Amino acid sequence: MHHGQIKATPVVGLVGNPNSGKSSLFNVLTGLRQRIGNFPGVTVEKKAGMLTLPGLPTIELIDFPGAYSCYPTSLDERLVVQELTNPAGELFPDAILYVADITKLDKHLLLFTQLRDLDLPMILVLNMADRMEADGLTVDIPRLSKQLGVPVVPVSSRDHRGIGELKEVIAGLLREPDAFRPRQPFYEPTASARDVLAELRRELPARNDYHALLLAHHAPWLKHIPEQTRHHVQQARVRHGFHSLRAQVEETMDRYHTFEPIVKETVRHAGDADSLSDRIDNVVTHPIAGPFIFVGLMFLLFQALFAWASVPMDLIEWFFGTLGEGIRTTLPAGWFTDLLVDGIVAGLGGVLVFVPQIAILFFFIAILEEVGYLARAAYMFDSLMQRFGLNGRSVVALVSGHACAIPAIMSTRTIANWKERLLTILVTPLTSCSARIPVYVILISFAVPPVAYLNGLVGLQGLAFAGLYFLGILGAMLSALAFKYVLRTPERSFLMLELPEYRTPVWRNVGVTVWQKSKTFVLEAGKIIMIISVILWAASTYGPPEQMAAAEREAGAAAQVQNLSEDETADLVASERLEASYAGHLGKFIEPVIRPLGYDWKIGIALLTSFAAREVFVGTMATIYSIGSTDDEFRVRERMAEERNPVTGEPVYNVATAWSLLIFYVFAMMCMSTLAVTRRETNSWKWPAVQFVFMTAIAYVGAMAVYQVLS
Amino acid sequence: MPTTMPFPLPAAASLFAVGQSGTIERFTNESLAGKLLDIGVRPGSRLRVVRKSPFGGSWYVKIDRQCLALRKKELACIMVK
Repeated sequence: MHHGQIKATPVVGLVGNPNSGKSSLFNVLTGLRQRIGNFPGVTVEKKAGMLTLPGLPTIELIDFPGAYSCYPTSLDERLVVQELTNPAGELFPDAILYVADITKLDKHLLLFTQLRDLDLPMILVLNMADRMEADGLTVDIPRLSKQLGVPVVPVSSRDHRGIGELKEVIAGLLREPDAFRPRQPFYEPTASARDVLAELRRELPARNDYHALLLAHHAPWLKHIPEQTRHHVQQARVRHGFHSLRAQVEETMDRYHTFEPIVKETVRHAGDADSLSDRIDNVVTHPIAGPFIFVGLMFLLFQALFAWASVPMDLIEWFFGTLGEGIRTTLPAGWFTDLLVDGIVAGLGGVLVFVPQIAILFFFIAILEEVGYLARAAYMFDSLMQRFGLNGRSVVALVSGHACAIPAIMSTRTIANWKERLLTILVTPLTSCSARIPVYVILISFAVPPVAYLNGLVGLQGLAFAGLYFLGILGAMLSALAFKYVLRTPERSFLMLELPEYRTPVWRNVGVTVWQKSKTFVLEAGKIIMIISVILWAASTYGPPEQMAAAEREAGAAAQVQNLSEDETADLVASERLEASYAGHLGKFIEPVIRPLGYDWKIGIALLTSFAAREVFVGTMATIYSIGSTDDEFRVRERMAEERNPVTGEPVYNVATAWSLLIFYVFAMMCMSTLAVTRRETNSWKWPAVQFVFMTAIAYVGAMAVYQVLS
Repeated sequence: MPTTMPFPLPAAASLFAVGQSGTIERFTNESLAGKLLDIGVRPGSRLRVVRKSPFGGSWYVKIDRQCLALRKKELACIMVK
């Protein structure tokens, strides 16, 4: 039932088919005043924004996921049906902006007629009106509006034509929601459906016949249908031989027959659809050239990513380093200053240092998406990925993972099938991200002799480096294969992918994506990284008081005996304190567990701190081996080479231990930020836990096997 | 490009060679039919197989003026004459 007066915060929903340009329009209407979260109880992204119109209360605009019809096949589509069939729900819109691509009206009106039959106040927004001249397209707007019984507004989210008029029409509809009530439905249920409805009509909380029909179809999974009713619906369906799928096909055919003539009457196409897209696709999706073009593009992307991100990353590190030093010199020494510098400032820097890579990666991915290339990549690799339980779109995440798993995992939202998306999220961190590079560099020098063949063209160390990357990809694909057989899902997997025409990107959309993803990362993952780094700081700074005091005394005495300089004394004290700290105790505690891998308690501490983030390894090594500054990789390496086993006198970092550590770092889940993002994207602690356990288990077993064979 | 139909009777579109085209007559799998209808593939539509994907298993198909990627099992339920 429509209310006579306007609610305090009217809700307007943007609904439409995928690729109708819905999100572009959302960006134009709300700008950056958007909130991104999940719809309650599901892992479907919810975008909401504010829209202010003169003389009306602030409107909440919700960008519903793209859907083709009221018969959903993905979680995204289910959500649309769930909310639009539940008038009591909080997200039930007071008005719907139905967005359709003006060039594909003959397909995009299916969902429109269904929602119209639900008696929802609607406006038909014909998007991409800028294509009209290029395609020689004419639309008889007044006639279309009359035939469909709703206001029709052509707009373009590219050149902003029609946006002003659209706002006026929205205001008008909110003031008078009953102005465009449907006079007659587009579709009348068939005989078998009518019998079911006659029996259930009174029990179902429905506004009209079509609403009741949809509830009867979807009662088994709709959340707002009580268990009792669900049961009755099931019985009635069986009694009257109501076949849901058949009824759906009949209804859809019937609707096409109803609206096709309306489109034919009002829309004129001149000539053929543009063949530029076809010509591009002849090359870009070519069975042989296509994959090579993809690899070339990815290669360029990485070059740019590393080249452009290094300067801002250095700047951020420099800034936080300087800030820390500044605080240390201005504030009095003490636990508060330590917490501020080593805990909070270092933690904040650790979060923000990832932002350039995330922003640049999303800049490229947003462009590829906007242009329409990602759909082509998904098409090309779908069957290959499917053999491993993944989706064509997983390619994007697996490639991006080599820069950083965090944006890569966030990019899996384009995968509609939940199982395929989950598998992609779980295995993506196995690809060797940029944080592993410093660890690989240091350890390979212990594992592989600096030998080169073919006049120095092929170095053994370089081969080992490439081999570690390959090992990561292999691990990711095989783990996906294993999960494919373990996990079950009721959802069917489809490809049925639209390959939209190539378009130049809307830069506003690219900008909004980069801004939103970076912001989300800093706010959501940042919180958890900060907490962990403060805990780590505390664990390595504090220990049982008498032991800490004893360690300090002994170090001081040893320094006097050895006649060390002030700096050297400070380093020695720091190292002894670390051994006596809680982190040191923990390292000694886990030593029995990691001894079969060839590690001592000091490596144990480095492993433990690395679980916050891999790149911490070099820094921890430096602290443990009491080197004041961690800037110099080579000094850490020298010091590690000198380290001897106190019992045997053998070097600690022999070939076996170095390889064992390398294998461990390839596979182990050592990145709090990734776990935080996995938690966010899967909306449960279960999957980050699974991810942590399976990756670390592979790492442990792999490292142990390598150590036992080599030693 | 072959324009004559080698199949006298409606045949599954998955049997089509690259470049072949025809008119969709019906679907043989109700669950896939529902989804295909939703995205605008329906009896009477013109279907042309444009090319095969690099690793096999899926096809680049043009239906009316719309380009789609379909897996083999999705094409197999489309009867074309």
